[in-house]
Amino acid sequence: MRNASRLIEILDRMENGPGIIEKDFDSLIMKRIPELVNEFEIKFYGENFVNTDDAMADRCYEAGLKLAEEAGVYCVSNNRRMIWSRREILDTIKWAPTSIVIGAGRDAHNEYRRDPEDPRRPTIICGPIGQTIPEDLFLPIMQSYFQEQIADTVITGTIETVYGRECRTKSPWEILSGWHEAELALTAAKRAGREGIAIGCVENANSDITELSATSYGAFRQTDWHHIAMISELKTDYMLLNKLTHLTKTDCILHSFYNPIYGGLAGGAEGLAVVTVAGLIMLQMIYMTTTHSQCPTHPFFLSNTAPPIIWSIGLSVQALSRNTPFMLDVLTSPVGGPCTKTVLYESAAIATTATVSGAARLMGVRSTVGKFRGHASGLEARFNGEVGYAAAGMKREKANEIVKQIVPKYLNQLDKEPKGKIFPEAYDMHTLRPRPEWLKMYDEAKEELSKIGLALK
Amino acid sequence: MSAFKQIQDQLRVAIREGNEEQATILAQRAVEMGIDPSLIFDECITPVLAQAGDQFARLEIFLPEVLLAADAAKAIFKVLEPVIQADEAVSVSLGKVIIGTVSGDVHEIGKNIVGIMLEVNGFSVKDLGRDVPVSAFLDTARDYQADIIAMSSLLTTSMPYIRDLVNLIKDTGENKRFKTLIGGGPVTSEWAAAIGADGYGKDATEAVKVAKQMVGA
Ligand code: B12
Repeated sequence: MRNASRLIEILDRMENGPGIIEKDFDSLIMKRIPELVNEFEIKFYGENFVNTDDAMADRCYEAGLKLAEEAGVYCVSNNRRMIWSRREILDTIKWAPTSIVIGAGRDAHNEYRRDPEDPRRPTIICGPIGQTIPEDLFLPIMQSYFQEQIADTVITGTIETVYGRECRTKSPWEILSGWHEAELALTAAKRAGREGIAIGCVENANSDITELSATSYGAFRQTDWHHIAMISELKTDYMLLNKLTHLTKTDCILHSFYNPIYGGLAGGAEGLAVVTVAGLIMLQMIYMTTTHSQCPTHPFFLSNTAPPIIWSIGLSVQALSRNTPFMLDVLTSPVGGPCTKTVLYESAAIATTATVSGAARLMGVRSTVGKFRGHASGLEARFNGEVGYAAAGMKREKANEIVKQIVPKYLNQLDKEPKGKIFPEAYDMHTLRPRPEWLKMYDEAKEELSKIGLALK
Repeated sequence: MSAFKQIQDQLRVAIREGNEEQATILAQRAVEMGIDPSLIFDECITPVLAQAGDQFARLEIFLPEVLLAADAAKAIFKVLEPVIQADEAVSVSLGKVIIGTVSGDVHEIGKNIVGIMLEVNGFSVKDLGRDVPVSAFLDTARDYQADIIAMSSLLTTSMPYIRDLVNLIKDTGENKRFKTLIGGGPVTSEWAAAIGADGYGKDATEAVKVAKQMVGA
């Protein structure tokens, strides 16, 4: 792809950037972010959850761009900063892809960038990204996502064991688990009748070697999309750049993500939005990525559904959607699990905010913030996608009013780990359909949210 | 006492605001005035840092402010150290902790938060960073004469390295000497008990509580 021609340049920056020790890099970011928040007058007042102020979104972009230019990305393997000038950044990011075909055959899907309040539907990614899934439940759980007709693409969970063996990272077991993930995911897709559908992978690939292995002939395909993370805040390492090099040379679709931490080095909601913008800009610079995902995380609830984080997601997506060609992705990472209404309300808050702010794709749901093994099911992912469809084309003012009514429905649950039920208790294991109790909650939540303005019925 | 009273409030403000420079100057002045270092610990450093930790736990303030406060406290400690060494009766630390994220795992924000919370609550903490090999934990624990080895894992696939260390110190007979404290996303109290770790914390606040129990504080 056009934007993928810069590999050598990137590796050069990695090799020749200015040296700095990590603690000093952290201090630089920590000191600079509050200054930029002040300078660009970015302010979260607490009462509005979906930003409606275009000027603030643009200032947030400027602040993030400035941080990207000043800080660059820290490569922890060689203690160097990978830096580009403002000019270089702007000349590069303008070539980021605005659409792409993922998947193959009759399951090929064309995804495209979106603007704030864009009337077109976002791409829907269903799946329990990275959530630990017991090996014997992996196939049925994954099938429960592949069979959702709203799914344009599916993202896998993390298999807990491999052939019953404990799987440790950087060992041959991890490589085997990457293959196991591919074999089982492709089988689940086939069983659901969606052989060609694109799969987000390799979730079991913590290390570079597993990514390489499970992206070779016979495992995951070039029509799937592959993950590369940015280490928070604004860091990378050789292992991640190894993945980049392999995936670029094998012409794979690159999906990158950044999970900054609320209350961490970037500070509160405002700093979080600025560092997210800087991070996603730099993902394009260092990984030549196709889609750019974010999941800012709460330091104690571990979810992204607390009000300051929702606001930061909306503002940063608007900032980038208004000022770059990026295809932006937002992950829904709630505390609730299957068979709770909490997970549905939390998904509705994130999916509404992301959709009206200009996200190109909605990903999830990572139920119970990925913490409780097997507490995941296709139904919450369907719901997340349906909210995205309902919110497409909605004005941000209206979305804000809706989200303001949704949040109080789950706010007091955030510190309670409402994990709900494990998959076999949420779904009938023979028919792979949600059990009546779970379906009833889903229907009721749709009814309730329809009444406050989300056209879910 | 009255001489101390004068400087006490200023010191507390300097720590709270993370003003390292001011904290150093004030600490030097306190030493010149012959103020008992233990007073500075008990009346300034310990309560102000603990308060910062509590405020962070409620997210009334954020990590940078806690880090700066801890740095200011360290600056004071540097000034007081020679005086304290002369007077062994002063106990300045609840215990020594080494902390790190285990092999193959780069998730370290939770570990950083736990480290800083232990520090502001009176422990001496040495942070080994992320992707730390099992043997490095033990080497450092010996050199540093640690009381507690704290390990963080956020990946199902890095958890086995925690168990390796717990087993290793059993094999070397050092499991009485070093207590193991573990935590991070997929780690649970049941698993901690199953592998024979000495303690588990579900978040930073619990980590502090358990660590205190371990050293009998
Ligand atoms: C941020 C994040 C990242 C960042 C990490 C940045 C950094 N510098 O730390 C990045 C983007 C690099 C990343 C990468 C990956 N991640 Co990640 N990540 C997360 C995320 C969203 C949040 C983790 C976090 O920092 N939380 C905030 C902190 C404050 O919480 P915490 O760490 O849990 O710590 C608290 C407690 O657990 C406890 N605690 C922590 N440590 C200790 C230690 C002791 C001694 C004690 C007592 C207590 C304690 O106290 C802390 C404070 O309250 C989680 C999802 C989630 N919701 O947790 C996934 C998650 C941990 N990641 C996951 C995965 C799969 C990955 C990748 C493999 C993805 C991939 N395919 O590339 C890579 C692997 C990277 C690697 N080599 O390790 C999975 C793990 C799945 C599993 N069960 O194994 C999770 C659960 C998400 C998911 N479902 O996908 N990730």
